[in-house]
Amino acid sequence: MFILGFLTRRILQGFIVLFLVTFAIFTLLRVVPGDPARLIVGGMAPDNVVAQKAEELGLNDPIPVQFITYLGQLVQGDMGNSFLRPKSGAIVGASEYDDPTRGNRAQVLDLILERLPLTLQLAGVSIVFCLLIAFPLGVAGGLRPGSWMDRLAFFAGSLFVSMPNFWLGIVLAMLISVKMGLLPSIGYKGFSYTILPAFVLAIELAPFVIRTLTVSIAQVMQEEFITIAPIRGLTPFRIVFAHAIRNASIPLLNLFGIQLGTLLGGVLVVEYIFDYPGLGLLTINSVLQRDFPLIQGIAIFISGIFVFINIIVDLAATAIDPRLEY
Amino acid sequence: MTDKKLLRVDGLSVDVVKGTMVTPVLSDISFSLNTGHVLGVIGEAGSGKTVLSRALVNGLGPPLEISSGQVIYKGRNILDLSQRELRLIRGKEIGYIGANPMGSLDPTMAIGEQIVEKLRSVRPDMSAVAAKERVLDVLASVHIPSPEARFHEFPFQFSGGMMQRVMIVDALVTDPTFLVADNITQALDVTVAAQIIRLIEELRLKFNTAIVFVSSSLPVVSSLADEILVLHEGKIVEHSTPHELINQPRHDYTKSLLARLPRIWGDDVKQLAENNGDVVLSVRDVAKTYVVRKRGTFNDHNYVQAVRGVSFDIHEGENFGIVGESGCGKSTLTRLLAWLETPDAGTIRFQGFDLAELTKAELVTMRSSFQLLLQDPYNALPSRMPVGRIIAESLYIHDGGSKEEIRRKVLSAMEEVGLPKDLENSLTVGLSAGQRQRVCIARALVLEPKLLILDETLSALDQVEQAQLLELFALLQEKYRFTYVFISHDMAMVRKVCNRIAVMYLGKIVELAGNSILFENPQHPYSKALLSAVPTLDDHPFQAEEYLLDGEPPSPVDIPQGCTFMTRCPARMKICGSREPDLNITVGRAQSACFRATEMGDEVPHQLK
Amino acid sequence: MDIKVKNMVQPSMDGMDLSVSPAKRMWILAWNSAAFKFGFFIFGALMLTALVYPEFSSVDPTKMNYRARLLPPIFVGDWTSAHPLGTDQLGRDLLLRCLVGLRYSVLIGVTTVVLMFILGCGLGLVSGYKGGVIDTIIMRLTDAQLSIPMIILAIAVLGVSRPTVPAIIIVLGMAGWPLYARVARSVTMSERQREYIRGERVLGASDWRILFLFIAPAVLPPIAFVAILDVARMMIFESILGFLGLGVQPPTPTFGNIIADGRKYLINAWWVATMPGIFLLVTLTSLNLMGSAFEKARNQVLKGEH
Repeated sequence: MFILGFLTRRILQGFIVLFLVTFAIFTLLRVVPGDPARLIVGGMAPDNVVAQKAEELGLNDPIPVQFITYLGQLVQGDMGNSFLRPKSGAIVGASEYDDPTRGNRAQVLDLILERLPLTLQLAGVSIVFCLLIAFPLGVAGGLRPGSWMDRLAFFAGSLFVSMPNFWLGIVLAMLISVKMGLLPSIGYKGFSYTILPAFVLAIELAPFVIRTLTVSIAQVMQEEFITIAPIRGLTPFRIVFAHAIRNASIPLLNLFGIQLGTLLGGVLVVEYIFDYPGLGLLTINSVLQRDFPLIQGIAIFISGIFVFINIIVDLAATAIDPRLEY
Repeated sequence: MTDKKLLRVDGLSVDVVKGTMVTPVLSDISFSLNTGHVLGVIGEAGSGKTVLSRALVNGLGPPLEISSGQVIYKGRNILDLSQRELRLIRGKEIGYIGANPMGSLDPTMAIGEQIVEKLRSVRPDMSAVAAKERVLDVLASVHIPSPEARFHEFPFQFSGGMMQRVMIVDALVTDPTFLVADNITQALDVTVAAQIIRLIEELRLKFNTAIVFVSSSLPVVSSLADEILVLHEGKIVEHSTPHELINQPRHDYTKSLLARLPRIWGDDVKQLAENNGDVVLSVRDVAKTYVVRKRGTFNDHNYVQAVRGVSFDIHEGENFGIVGESGCGKSTLTRLLAWLETPDAGTIRFQGFDLAELTKAELVTMRSSFQLLLQDPYNALPSRMPVGRIIAESLYIHDGGSKEEIRRKVLSAMEEVGLPKDLENSLTVGLSAGQRQRVCIARALVLEPKLLILDETLSALDQVEQAQLLELFALLQEKYRFTYVFISHDMAMVRKVCNRIAVMYLGKIVELAGNSILFENPQHPYSKALLSAVPTLDDHPFQAEEYLLDGEPPSPVDIPQGCTFMTRCPARMKICGSREPDLNITVGRAQSACFRATEMGDEVPHQLK
Repeated sequence: MDIKVKNMVQPSMDGMDLSVSPAKRMWILAWNSAAFKFGFFIFGALMLTALVYPEFSSVDPTKMNYRARLLPPIFVGDWTSAHPLGTDQLGRDLLLRCLVGLRYSVLIGVTTVVLMFILGCGLGLVSGYKGGVIDTIIMRLTDAQLSIPMIILAIAVLGVSRPTVPAIIIVLGMAGWPLYARVARSVTMSERQREYIRGERVLGASDWRILFLFIAPAVLPPIAFVAILDVARMMIFESILGFLGLGVQPPTPTFGNIIADGRKYLINAWWVATMPGIFLLVTLTSLNLMGSAFEKARNQVLKGEH
């Protein structure tokens, strides 16, 4: 019963958010300078070809009409076709003349789905790394405020949060792949290519986890049900692992929901540095090539993921703490 | 000799250590306790009684440090045991119940699960099934309705009283030989507290547990204990039996404690007459319902009927009391009276003006005439403003004249409420609860109000401060002819100051009567139950055995049909289920919403001669 | 922590006199922490150098010198070199370029945060205080805004339009305000429930009076801490944009474009990409240490109050 009502509300809210995002991105890309039609057919194309293409794409319609058309397609799961990317492989150079009647441009959704698994793998591995680094530091710091562990957590957090991810990526790639030859780093030919980028991402995320854990564990340890637990006869092990961490995990889940943006932003940069063929690299390339439908599609898709994961996060939080049901 | 005692405390001293500052909290505490006996410890806030109860279970942490002494349980000094050794007895043979039941268990886990967890931590030999059975058994023995269902519920789904029962189960589930009960009724409503005391009495015989029962209420302690320790400023000032302590107190502190106990019944209790001044505030059929979205639904709502049609008049210069327990709607009524919220139905007229019909500007002007004093003196004042500025705030809002004039008014108000002049520029952080309340009073006073609404204003204060403030209120009333509305759960305080009193239950006034009628000849069974639960040493006309109710009020979301009190009423009749009784006139100007009231109206309870 | 305060009347949790106002206690606590001092002095020194050194230096940060290409930093090679951090592939002095980059970085970081602060706090205050429809609208907007990662929005906009300093500031600021709005809203909502606000209502105070005199001063401090830390975060974003070629355009040096250029020479001249990174890392760490020390002090003071 609860789950159903909750899901209805959240999914409705999610659609509103997605609508707003679509609207914003769509408008933004229409008002910035640059002629999409010329982009598609190429710089050398004659003007009449450009005009013909614009007409064909509906670019001469007023923006609201274009928006509604786009929404209509979106509802059917059609994000349109990439301006530049053919169905198979290589990018068509934007400067050469290109036959406007050619209809073999790749579907935006296909392009996204094709890249998605690699990005998910990268994100998953980096979250595991991040927890491995941050959990011991954060928990130890929270259990003993003022101890050397707490101070270590504090300084490690301050240092990690100050580390520009692209720079760390470059330096690590040089040190570990080029100089030491321990791990591969450019492109993707197997799982080992994920490790180094995931580590860079983990370092970027870790400070948030460390700080949240330190603060929330320290706070939980002050709660009466924890201070009274040894008097009730519970062992220190159970107090920390069954109760303190359980209660501190709720702020951590919420943090995950909020910092998802940081993670996705990080993915983008890291994929670019390591030439890792995921969604992030696709995004950057589509921006650099002004492939509007693709930019639009990716932004909407990512908001969708964001909304979806936040619903999951809230469900998980209510599973842990039933007071949060609302 | 010593080994026969279950517990012996020898020269126990505890200090607060902060850096190089050492402040003693307990000094040289010694006493002993036999198997199955109850030792009462009585002390006011700050007497060190909670520190003592924590020390008995070796549960002190920084900044508290034990500087000397022993706590010998069955021949072994608990304070010297290692954590491992301690685990073998603490939680198993020694139980502990604290003052804050709502915070004592993990809010994210079902209560049954947590008690089983505890039971199996101290008795690893027990199987999960056996442990669960045992927990269900004990849950039933503390009269928690449908224990199987509640086993799976979470702490937030329990009321304070029920949760305290859960904590009693948590302590007793291991069959402890020794139990520390630290102020366990402090956070509870009177009738609920009385139920808990009755439960402890019952369980004590059943489990044959030795109890150290710590409380700030002498009547409560003396009704339970075999012996009583009086704790004052960290020292034991007196140690005797309840009878001796009450009748022949030896130490001055004990004597003053007894003298300060509020008197409710007896020949020497001051009788307050009703007065018939002009009507200042007139409340007619006021109702307020809150709409709250139902948990887990998309668009389904609960209607919380907080106030359900309340009418009364308040006369100039009188003290009007509104009493009731948590959830009875008195806080909502307070907000309505102060016009912080507007009623859904009914009218509130102040000095003849319907507050709903005033314009915004008129209302602001009118506000200076009726002022609300808030409950919690620590949160009622902005922390960033100095005292003088806080008091001046009222005048700035109401355009109280030039800067000099305002300052003059502020200083004279400060003097009037007994605040030293040099506090004018200091922040409120260092002030005591009583001083803070005085700031609140001064802030209302500069507006020259007619009516003061006191929302539990005195409940955060200790007896001495409370008495001083009541004196101040009386003084101001004499000088300015103030009218007071006291909203309170404290029957003793209301007895002392109010001319007329309204008793609220589930959003309605069930009885409205003059002071002496309400306390000596109440008509409504709820009023009687409330009175039976008041802890007092006086000869009690309403014995708990006869009048105290079981259970708890129904939820204001699901109000029963007919008389709302019917679910708990010992004297319900057929008619009660079909119709809700109005406030009928019974004795003199007393009104009672009970069908039985008219029929036994003039009968005086037999306990009163 | 060793703090000596005279007249210890009522010691609080942090061992300080309770009659000292909380804000002051927080300052004292923060100032007394090693992390804050360390951060303060390093950041101060860096800022001072960034302001003074390029003005008095005889070299122009954009001036190329082919004879002095890819010179190593002094601690690797020649201690007498005129280029403390070495030179880049065009023979430009790296220290000078870093310092000029720092100016832009701090300028963009601070201005962006101020923009986010004003926009976010304003909307958050209104949203939290008014509630109802306004609240719903503003909150759905923040949801939408938060669900597009800042960096994607930034590169999408800057990638298709020309990245100038104001454009960068506006884009980062637009992308960052929702977090401020959320914090401001939640603090406003909890502050609005406080007893003393009810007291103020009883006295007859208007909404605006309550909002400006009481709620705003309560809302600003917790957000101010986020803001200090966010300056560092925005500086990182600025460098990322620079690295992707979407920041302030060359020849103006920024951390991002120096590192991006240096990346190509990484194997032969590691310092071109590494030194600016370390320079940026030190700057940001000092800033973050200050911010975190403040945050810690604040937590301590708040804990002491309850």
